Formats: sequence, C-alpha cells, structure tokens
Amino acid sequence: MLKYTLQRILYMIFVFFVITFMCFVLVRMLPPPRLPPEDPHTEILELRREALGYNEPYLVQFWLFVKNLFTKFDWGLSEKLYFGRGVWEVFVEKLPATMVVNLYSILWTIPVGIALGIWAALKKNTWVDYTISTLTMVVISVPSFVYAFVIQYLLCFKLRLFPFVMKPGTDWLSWEMFKSIVPPILSLSFGVIAGFTRTTRAELTEVLTSEFMLLARTKGLTKTQATVRHALRNCFVVIVPGIFGEFIGILGGSLIIEKIFAIPGVGALTLNAINGRDYNIFMLSTCFYTAIGLAAGLVVDISYGFIDPRIRMGSKK
Amino acid sequence: MSKMKKLTALLLALVMVLALAACGGNGDDTTNDTGKDTSKPQDSGSDTTEDTSGPALVVTEFDSSKTYTINSGVGSIYSNWNPHTYQEQTAGTQLDYLSDGFYQFIFNDALHPVEGKDPFTTYVIIPAMAAGDPVDVTAEVKAAHPDWIPEGGESGFAWKIPLRTDLQFDNGHKIDAHTFVESMKRLLDPEKLNYRATDAYTGGSGIAGAEAFAKAGTYALSEFVSAACGDDEYVDPANFTLTDAGTYQYDGKDIVLDINSGGNWGDDGIKAYEGQVPQADRLIAAANDKGWVYLTPDLLKDLQDIIAMLHGAADVEAYAATAEDYAYQEFEEMAFFGQTYPEVDYDETVGFYAASDYELVIVYKSSLSGFTLYYNGGLTGNFYLVDPEVYDACLTSTETASGTVWTSTYMTSVETSPSFGAYSLTDFQTDKHMHWSKNPTWYGWTDNVNHVYQDPEDGNVYRFNQATDIDWQIVEDDDTRKLMFLHGELDSYSLRPADTVQYRSSDYCYNTPGYTVFFMILNGNLSAIQEREAAADFDKTKYDLESMTLLNFRKAFAVSFDRDDICASIMPYYTAGYGLYGDAQIYDPETCAFYRDTDAARQALCDFYSVDVSKYASLEEAADSITGYDPETAKVLFTQAFQDALDAGYITDENGDGVSDQTVTIYMSRDSDSDAVHKLDEYLDQKIGDVVKGTPWYDEATGTAKISFELSPILDDWVEPLRNGQYDYNLGGWGGSSMDPFNTFEVYVNPNYQYDAKWFDASQHTMTTTVNGEEITMNLQQWNNALNGTPVTIGDKTYCFGSNDMDLDSRAEILAKLEGVILNTYDYIPMINDGSLYLSTMKTYYVTEEWNPVLDYGGAKYTKYNYDDAAWAEYCEAQIAEHGQLQY
Repeated sequence: MLKYTLQRILYMIFVFFVITFMCFVLVRMLPPPRLPPEDPHTEILELRREALGYNEPYLVQFWLFVKNLFTKFDWGLSEKLYFGRGVWEVFVEKLPATMVVNLYSILWTIPVGIALGIWAALKKNTWVDYTISTLTMVVISVPSFVYAFVIQYLLCFKLRLFPFVMKPGTDWLSWEMFKSIVPPILSLSFGVIAGFTRTTRAELTEVLTSEFMLLARTKGLTKTQATVRHALRNCFVVIVPGIFGEFIGILGGSLIIEKIFAIPGVGALTLNAINGRDYNIFMLSTCFYTAIGLAAGLVVDISYGFIDPRIRMGSKK
Repeated sequence: MSKMKKLTALLLALVMVLALAACGGNGDDTTNDTGKDTSKPQDSGSDTTEDTSGPALVVTEFDSSKTYTINSGVGSIYSNWNPHTYQEQTAGTQLDYLSDGFYQFIFNDALHPVEGKDPFTTYVIIPAMAAGDPVDVTAEVKAAHPDWIPEGGESGFAWKIPLRTDLQFDNGHKIDAHTFVESMKRLLDPEKLNYRATDAYTGGSGIAGAEAFAKAGTYALSEFVSAACGDDEYVDPANFTLTDAGTYQYDGKDIVLDINSGGNWGDDGIKAYEGQVPQADRLIAAANDKGWVYLTPDLLKDLQDIIAMLHGAADVEAYAATAEDYAYQEFEEMAFFGQTYPEVDYDETVGFYAASDYELVIVYKSSLSGFTLYYNGGLTGNFYLVDPEVYDACLTSTETASGTVWTSTYMTSVETSPSFGAYSLTDFQTDKHMHWSKNPTWYGWTDNVNHVYQDPEDGNVYRFNQATDIDWQIVEDDDTRKLMFLHGELDSYSLRPADTVQYRSSDYCYNTPGYTVFFMILNGNLSAIQEREAAADFDKTKYDLESMTLLNFRKAFAVSFDRDDICASIMPYYTAGYGLYGDAQIYDPETCAFYRDTDAARQALCDFYSVDVSKYASLEEAADSITGYDPETAKVLFTQAFQDALDAGYITDENGDGVSDQTVTIYMSRDSDSDAVHKLDEYLDQKIGDVVKGTPWYDEATGTAKISFELSPILDDWVEPLRNGQYDYNLGGWGGSSMDPFNTFEVYVNPNYQYDAKWFDASQHTMTTTVNGEEITMNLQQWNNALNGTPVTIGDKTYCFGSNDMDLDSRAEILAKLEGVILNTYDYIPMINDGSLYLSTMKTYYVTEEWNPVLDYGGAKYTKYNYDDAAWAEYCEAQIAEHGQLQY
C-alpha cells in the first residue's frame, strides 16, 4: 500500500508538472488583448510585457516561474485584473466566500441525500419510493441557476426572509453572513441532494437483495442491524468517493450562482484571467485546481481500501 | 470675449448673493414642477451658515445628524484606482470620489449665471482646487524655455494655475504645487512604466517634454516617418544617411519597419505576406526578436516593391511611372523613427513645475484656450495627483526574465487610498463592495463660493453633494438588480427592453440621450467576397454575396428599415438614427450647441434622404420629417440592383422568370450570442423579406425572399472579420468625443479606424466645396486634416480650418458636407441613436430635470434627498408591506 501510494504521488507530481507547463505555454500563446488602433497605451503595455519577460523564450519564463514558486512561494503579481496585488493574496481573499457557501451546502445535503436514498430503498416500490424517485429525477434535470432565480424571487423578494445577495464583509461564520447565504446554499443543494438520493437508493436496493443480506437476517440480525452493519457499508464504496468529490468541490465556485448572489468567490477567476490574459492568476488557479484534483483522485483511490478491505491497491494479483 | 463674459458673470453672481442675503430666502416649498414627492421628512432648511470669507451668503445646510447614502449596484468594481495605473473606465469613476479637479463643471444658476441662458440650461466652469482663473504665461515661459514652445507660438501654451492654500489629503498631508510636481515625476518615471504616463504626453493634454522624460534611456519607436515630418510630408530617401552598420538614419534617428504593424496602413504588417513574395520573406528574416527591421538600402527596396505590388504594379519602378516620387516615399507611412531617448533632468525637461508654493505652471505641447483648455487640457480632472509619501511606500519591484518591473499597491485598498476629494474610502472588499464616506478635511464642505448652488424651486442656496455616503456593491445579475431596486435597496435601475413598456412613462424614468449613431456596416469588400465565393463549399448556383456590393442594392437597404420600429422592437431605449452623428453630439462646447441642430447638418440629412425642403415651412421641419423608411423606393432600387447584378454576372436567371436564381446571404459578424443579436438578425431577415415582395428578389412560387440575413459563428472579435470582408454586417458606431465631431470624423477617413478601410481609400476620394467664397477640391483625408487644424497645401495654397482658424459654424458646414460624402458611400447605413433609460429612486430627486451632455442630470452633486436613510427604510417597509414592492 505504501509503495503504491508513493508511486501514485510520483506520478501525480509528474502529471502536475506536465499540465502546469502545458497551461503555462498555451495561455502565453494567446495573443495579448488588443487595444483600439493608435491607442497610446499600447506602447506602455508592450513595454511592460517586455519588462515582465513575456517576450523571452517560454522555457526561460517557466524556469523563473518555477524558481519563484519553489524558493519564495511567489506566484507573482496580477498584471490586469487586480493590478499590483499579489495573486496569492487575491486568491486567498476570494476563496473563503466560495468555501463557506459550499461547505454549508454539503453539510446538510449529504446527510439528507443519503437519508432520502435509504428511505426510498427501504420502501422500494411503495409510494414513498415513487415520490422520492420522481422528485429526484425532476430536481436533477433542472440546473441550479433556475432554483437560484426561484429562490431569490420567492424567499428574498416575496417573503423577504433573506437578503438578495451575500452581505459584504469577511465575518464568514456570523449569523448575518449565514442568513445572507442561505439562498445560494439552497440553490446549490437541490441537485446534490438528488444526486446522493439516487445513488444511495440504487446501490442500497441492489445490496439489500444480495444473498449475504439474507444470510445476515437468517443469522438473527434485525433488518435495521443488517442494513446498517452490512448493506450500508457495502454501498458506501460508491457513495464515499462522491462525498470526497463534494468536499473537494468546496474549493470550486459556481460561476452562475456566484454571479446571481454576488458572492465574491473564485468561480469566475480562471475565466476572467484567460480573457484578461492575467497569466499569474491563471497559473495559480490552474495549479491549485490541478493539484487538488490529482490529490483527490489519490485520496479516493486509497479510500477504497479502507472502506472495502477486499479492494487491494497496487496488487498484481 | 469669454473673459468678458466671466467678469459679467461674477458681477451678476455678487449682486445675486447680496440680494439673497438681503431677502434671507428660506422658502418652505415642498414640491417641484416634476410632480414627484419632494416633501421632506428630510433634510434641507434645518440649519444655515454664513460664508465668512466673502459676502454674507446664507447657505442652507443639510441636517448633519442624518445620513444620506447613494446605493449603487454595479457590474464590476476594479481593485486598482491608482491615477497612474488604472486601466478601466469604472476604476476612473471609483477614483473620482477620492479626487478633485483644478476646475469643475457646474450648472449655470443665479449664483453662476450665463448671459442669455435660463438657469440650469447649460454649464459653467468655475474653480475647484484652483484659487482663480488660469493665467496665460506663454511669453514668460518661452523666454526661459524656448524649447518647450514651438516657434511662432505666442499664447495658449503655458498656463499658471493658482492653487488654494487649504488643500490636503484626508490623512492630513498638505497639498501644494510641489505635490503636483512630485506626482508628475512619479507618473513619468521611465522605470515605472505607468499605464497613464502616455496620457501626459499624448492627446489634448500633452505636456511639453513629458515624453522625453518618460522614455529617457529607452530605445523606442516613435512616430511614423511621414507623420513626424507633418501629415502629407515625406522625406526623400536620398536624404537618409547610412550608419556604419549600413542601416538608414534620418536626423539621427533610425528608419525602422515593424513587421507586425502596418503603421498608418492599419493592417497586420509585412508579417501577413510571409511566404507570398520573397521581398516579404527577406524583411521578416531581417527582423529582430521584437519584429523590428532596421532598413538598409536593399531592405528598403524590398519594402518599396511590396507597397508597389499592393498597388498592382510589378515593382517600385513600375509604380513610379504613375505615382512618381510618392512611389519611393510611400513606405514612410509604414516605417517608424527609432531612437534612444537620452537621460534628462526633470526640471530642465518637463513643462510642469511649481512657480511658487501655490502656483503651478503647465506647459502644453499645443495651444489651448477657453473650453478646450479646461476640458481637453485636463484641468477638470485630478491631474495625476498622488500622496508621494504613501505612493512611495506602495511601490514594489519584481525580478523577471528580462530584468526588473515595478508595480504599486497605491489605491488598491482603504489604507493606500488617500483622498483629496469629497469622500474618503472607508471600505473595500475585492469584487464585492466599496464604501465612501464624507471626507471631513475636504475644503468643499466649507466653501460657500464655488461649492454651492441656488435651488431653482425654493430659491435657497445649498451645498453640493447632499449625500454623506456612497455605497457600491457588485450586483452583476440584472434580475437581482431589479428586485433590489423595487425593494429600495438600490437607487437606480437601467431598464432592459422587457421593462420599457411598464416603466418608460414612469415619473421616475430618466432618458439619457446618446451622441453615438449605430450604423449598419455593410460589406463592400468585393475581392474578399469573391474569395469566399471561390471556396469549394460555396454553391454559386444557389447563393450570392457579390450583389451586396452594388450601389443600388445598398441604397435599397438604406430605405428598407423603419428605424423607429427597430428601436421599439429590439432596443426601446434607443431612438432612430439618421446621420453619422447622434442627436446629443455637441459641436460648440462653449454654448453647448448640438451639431444636428445646425442648418448645415439638417441640410446634409435632407440631401441624403432626398427630402424636398421646399415642401416644408422650414429646414428644421424638413429634417424632422425624415424617417429613412421608404419601402416603395426600396422596391424600385432592388429591381434596379437585380438588373445590375445580372449585368455584372453576380447572379443568374436561367429560367427567365425574372427572379434571381441565387439568394444573397448576408452574414452578421458577431462575437456574442445574446438575445439582442438574435432578435436583430431575425428582425432584419423578416423585414427585408417583406420589402422585397414584388421584386426580382422574391420568389412568389415558393414564397421565399432571395435576400436573407444569417449569423456567423461566434467569433473572438466582430470588427476585424467585417473589415476583412469575411462576414458582412453588424451594427457599429463610434464614441470618440461628445464635444468634438470634427475630430471624430477621422474614423471615416483613417484606415486605422475605418470599418471600410479595405475597400474605401479616403485619399482617393475628393470633395469640392466652397469655403469663404473659394471653391476648393481636396481628398477626404486632406479635408479631415485641414478641418482639424493641420495645414494642407494644394498647389501654392495652404488651407487650415481648425478651431483657431475658422468660426465653428463654417467648420460645421464643411463637416456636414463631408458627412454627406461618407453617407453616400452606403458603407455605413445609419440605423439607431444611442441612449439609455433608467429608473431613479423615490428617495432622491435631481435639482433640475434638464439633461446636459456634460453634467447629465447633475449626478451626486445636484442630487437632493426626499428621505434620509432611516426615513427611507421606514418608507420602504411600509410600501412593501402594502404593495409588495415600491411603486414606480
């Protein structure tokens, strides 16, 4: 297991560098944004590009980027979107808004989704199952921004239960902040709940009809005991990676939800960086999400072994 | 004369002030003529102060115990509003609250009257940070620094600005003339490469010597060789000298070609011809890593040959048979001067210095006076003022692959934003929120002379800016913004097409006219079109593109669309547009007179739309009758165009049924997929289908039109594909200057700007008209140059019709004639006039309902409050409880 993990980490580092280098080169290959003809500022921008080394060979630029990153953890300064400010500083400033909304969202969506899935599976082919399954299909088919508009109109405009947009400030854990982000939390939640409900129901339904479940009951376990101790544990092989995925997703913002509820998060950061040719911001967000994605894949793979001891990583047999 | 007016204005103001003081006007009138609720649980009239510095002017103070906030929901908040580096317009607005100008625009009122104008019908310019009017010190400065002022320049170049002595930043740091100079030094510091540095040495406010200082020690390409010698002036290459390296120089400067720039030609440069001709390949091979080619005799010959080939000649010698010396000189429109700017001393070089602690001297590169001095000379702006102490602490340097680059965190946070304006920054959250509160150290809050106005309703004198706080928060989504506005959380809401039916007649709906006309730019690039038709996948038996280049076809287009209907159907806040310039385009900034209201401009439109003026009581009435929509004439023109197309072989009519076998397919060049784009395309497609019924462009048998509008794929940019003839139309317009239509005309004759540059060469089209009794013929570029003050020599005569050479009405006449010429190319078919509609909150009202192109409705300066913040919250609560939302 240790050998497998180390091997995966080495692969991960290699893949990380390949992706980083490709992104580094590709984004610099995009032509700089054009100013109107004869705009005198073009001259200054070109001089700055020259001074910033953007006309040097890509390998030279990449080496400096890597050197600064590993020797000083310096991601560079923003040249366009947040001119003059360190991109790490900006990223760290914007990340909490995204994280807090996502975190609140999954804290209740995962238990609720799994619970509904279990209920539907246990009540298979009853009105409970039909209702939950139908609602799940409906909810899963509708994009989250539709809920956002409906929630904003009903809860914020008509019923006046919540503010229209996230409140300014960085008191992320205050009651006022929580109240102001309930609408985006709800908007993000329905789809996640439906997803977990569907997965849990499908897996649990299958496991509940397995022969070992019959054996468990014949050994004298109650239905609840058999379900909790045996059935759920088996279906978690599929559910747990999904939970990991959701937690990793905490770090990624939703472009549309953040726009509708004015959440100053990272949702639009990468896109804006590409459009504005803000290389350093683009590289930071790319590296960050690449690293998170690779690490998540590793964690999920390793977690299989803990959830289901029958799964052995790296085994040749 | 203008100085006389100012003197009269001041005397009248003094008389009014004394009269007011005597009357002690403090009316209780609570309504205004708008019918809007101006009753006050409010503000004004609760306290009065007397000016201690001058005559006993009674100012009605707003209740200082209450807060009045402007709440805005904005699409973006930029995180850098440093006056030396900000790049986006919105960032400039963020900076405006923290800064001030030497002078300011205000409405004319009883305290600042304008002869012959009713109060609040025009603007006046009065001191702000300045202590008095600017003084022309050109002669004095020229004697000390003859290099700063051109030979023959006697006035308008150097101005002394007296400064107030009570200026300071909100951190307590004093501001005097030296602070301005230190700021300018930092702006122009060559190492810092500040984005706004170029503003200090280009355009109307270009400062003498600023460029030399900003570029000191750097090698840079400067002007095109031709431009440096004066427009339409060229150097005989025989006068070039050769360096030891065998490259050309002139006057000590290198002659350099940038292979990535077409220079004055406005295209992508020689790089675009790579692999096509050996001359281009040789030039490209000779380029350094920046794409610069230092021209040698051989390389110059290659360049001259390429230019000759572009004119259809085999080489430069063949081209010279017709173009003579110009064949050898034309490259100068594409080649730059290159030079290393020497290290220089600021004090000896830059015409921006302190004459004393409170006197600043600005030396401009061109002569400015009157309105242009204040407006174009930047005297109403912040003039790059920074707090040097804070500024220096914010600088950071970074080592890069090419050396060192400097950036600054100045004006990127509350701590780094010293204010010298009416408000101080009190909160900033990246991409979320910005809040300004009253800056108690600002001199304007106690200035009872230049920061007060007389209310036209109650006659009381009030201080500018009743708002105590300004709050911006990001609300990107239009629907969210609307809901927040209807709950009273935002103070304005820009109407979208779907809202206009419900709200356009609201008492709270304001219209902002625009000066830009959006015209349909129609592809006339025949060679590019023929290339597209030659493509393997183009079916010439079914489709045609060439016909759209026919004049009759384009004329028919011009009268096929009902502009009012387009506005009503797609863009309700716009109005119909008929000329190159919009209704709000000012041509005389001194009097705020509109170009479209001149007889010459009216006549130009009547001529273009074939209106018989004799049938109307006046020219104004005739011009007002123009609709630009005449489907019957369109049918006649389309029928003629059919015959023209057949004759030209563009289309066929094989079965002789009198209907085109091909469908003319016109593709919109677009870079977005918005509803407006789809609506416009569908609208045009449907309307052209209606118009061509009964013409050879309509197949009765199948009921289909033979002209159709289609959408291009979504492109990165819609302009270049249209200019290159790859796609066929879009609605475009030019912003330019709202007060200088003469200057804006350049966009129709300069290939760098022209949408039709690839098929309309303005240097080859002449116009003849009579000026001062003399019939003059010049090409359109020469007319443009002469109209904008650049002397043009034709034969032995030199013509110059700039602002210093000719009265405005005569210039407007020339401009109107030029407008007519451009309209008659039918490359630009005017469609709609820019404008906007927005709802303004019940919480406030504008002191005047008169819209003004400079001051709009007065902005924050002239906004008064019906409710303070607390009262407004109560009012909203009650209204929402009763109606569910505020009733606009």
